[in-house]
Amino acid sequence: MDTNRRGFLGAIGRVTIGAAASIAGVTEASASEIATGGPESAVKTKDGHTVHWGMVVDLRKCIGCQACTVACIMENDVPEDSFRTHVSVYEVLKDRQDPAMVMLPRLCNHCDDPPCVPVCPVEATFKAENGEVLVDASRCVGCAYCVQACPYDARFINHETQTADKCTFCYHRTQEGLLPACVETCVGGARNFGDLNDPDSEVSRMLRDNEVSVLRPEMHTNPNVYYIGLDEALDGRVAGEAAYHPPLTSNTHHEESL
Amino acid sequence: MEIHELVGAVHDAAWLPWAVQYFFLIAISTTAFLMALPTFVLGNEDGLPRARLALMVAVTTGITAPIALLADLHQPFRFWEFYAYTHTTSWMAWGAWIVPVYVGGVIAFAWALHRPALHAMGQENWRFAWVFRWLALGGETNWFVIPLGLITGAAALGILTYTGMEVMIVRARPLWNTPLLPLQFAATGFVGALGMMLMLERVLDHSKTLEVRLNRQLVFALAVVGGLGAIWFTLARSGLSSAHTEALTSVAGFTVWRMIAIWGGLAIAVPFVIALIQPAHTGWLTGLIAIHAAWMFRWTVFMGGQAVPKVGSGLYDALMPTGVAGLLGVIGTFGLWLFLLIAYTTFMPWTEAGLPRRSAGAPRPARSI
Repeated sequence: MDTNRRGFLGAIGRVTIGAAASIAGVTEASASEIATGGPESAVKTKDGHTVHWGMVVDLRKCIGCQACTVACIMENDVPEDSFRTHVSVYEVLKDRQDPAMVMLPRLCNHCDDPPCVPVCPVEATFKAENGEVLVDASRCVGCAYCVQACPYDARFINHETQTADKCTFCYHRTQEGLLPACVETCVGGARNFGDLNDPDSEVSRMLRDNEVSVLRPEMHTNPNVYYIGLDEALDGRVAGEAAYHPPLTSNTHHEESL
Repeated sequence: MEIHELVGAVHDAAWLPWAVQYFFLIAISTTAFLMALPTFVLGNEDGLPRARLALMVAVTTGITAPIALLADLHQPFRFWEFYAYTHTTSWMAWGAWIVPVYVGGVIAFAWALHRPALHAMGQENWRFAWVFRWLALGGETNWFVIPLGLITGAAALGILTYTGMEVMIVRARPLWNTPLLPLQFAATGFVGALGMMLMLERVLDHSKTLEVRLNRQLVFALAVVGGLGAIWFTLARSGLSSAHTEALTSVAGFTVWRMIAIWGGLAIAVPFVIALIQPAHTGWLTGLIAIHAAWMFRWTVFMGGQAVPKVGSGLYDALMPTGVAGLLGVIGTFGLWLFLLIAYTTFMPWTEAGLPRRSAGAPRPARSI
């Protein structure tokens, strides 16, 4: 299974885009069935087991180019002042050594015990069968309780739809056998995506072969986004000097700062 | 290790000033109602002047609060979904059921108490008598005040519980995730309610006895708030409660939070000392500071809490989100409350609200303040 852009580009010479479903080893399902949570909406492998999507981010390969940030915005029509994913960049000075630049891609962790789900008063946010945490925008009342409950600041109120918004692991793409946009566009192959239930998948192999960690382990949310090479000092609220935050001059809700 | 964040995303507050207004007004309404209820249920005639003021506060803030809450929904016309798709694991979903019971109850309770006076005004020969006959619904009995009051009282306790728990269970925000928070919301609610009653007493009543009594009760309420604050700080500093320690750690070291702590301490200490030493002729001052203390506590918890990044560094600029629009929202909510207060004192015979009749017999005489 090819789980990053490099692998995908290698495979594209052998199969067509339309047959990408077979690359990921999954069968297609109707996206419209997701709201009902019906069994048909779950992606299954040819051997019949239900796929459980996860991501492994190899921080050694991330160069902080923000291509994933831009790809996500373009793919998902994310409003100008918001992010479903972005790459935090830190300058770390350790033991009087030269400063090191550390990149940290952030996105929804699609937790197995998501704190955002039980607080939703109308069950608009839910855990899909393949592990994605999704929002039914047609039901969301925009109370923002889930935004408060998320320990990763991965949710926001979309001020064009006036509903809660977040990363979906590019649900519409994975249903068609494609990789999430951020994974497909990742220049360094840092983002790897695949089936955690498949012991032979690349992501499962990476989890076996590397020491991995998750963000905010103390929250016990069982995230499905893993990091290779994550410094403990960065896995929670980063105690350091903040980036320049432009003063709020309008009704904006997310602002990139440099 | 030294860390400098070079690129990060700013997350603006998702609960806006209208949410603060809701939590502020509903706490004042429920605590005021709980202060009014014993007088009417137990038939304590001496307590009527105070209970009338408390009921006035409960009704006017109780109607304003849910309007502020709707304004904070980003999809206010989908409010019906709270009832169509109730998610029982969410405190907010329970709140959606408790709020209308309480608001309906407090309005019905006030109406029932005023029914004999409304009926009497409808029997007089004057231009708008028909309006009051209609308001009295053609009768004057109000034996149902007590069961209605007990149901509404239970709903008021339900609101104090759900509003506290709804915020307290959010583990992602350390400043909210402290077991003392529901008690602090309730205690500051009593402070705000007594502050409003003191101000209304100065405007509508001018009774020195009542002013002194309200100031004495304010002293007690402020002492409880101060005591809870001291326990909170002790638990945080000693490490006896990891939740409180984490809450303190999340804001410690920031100059703005040091200023807020001093400001909050003064907002409790100053009216406490004034009301204790000079309970007469200080109602305006202690009342205003008490209202400010209750409001400021919520503003700090909600807006200040959302200014603390969950993963990023430093603080977000969330203490005054949405700029002038947010400020206008706050002012607008107070404007609506003021309108309701004027309407209540103009059209309701509020000085006639007496003890309910126990049976269908002759009404007990009402005494106006």
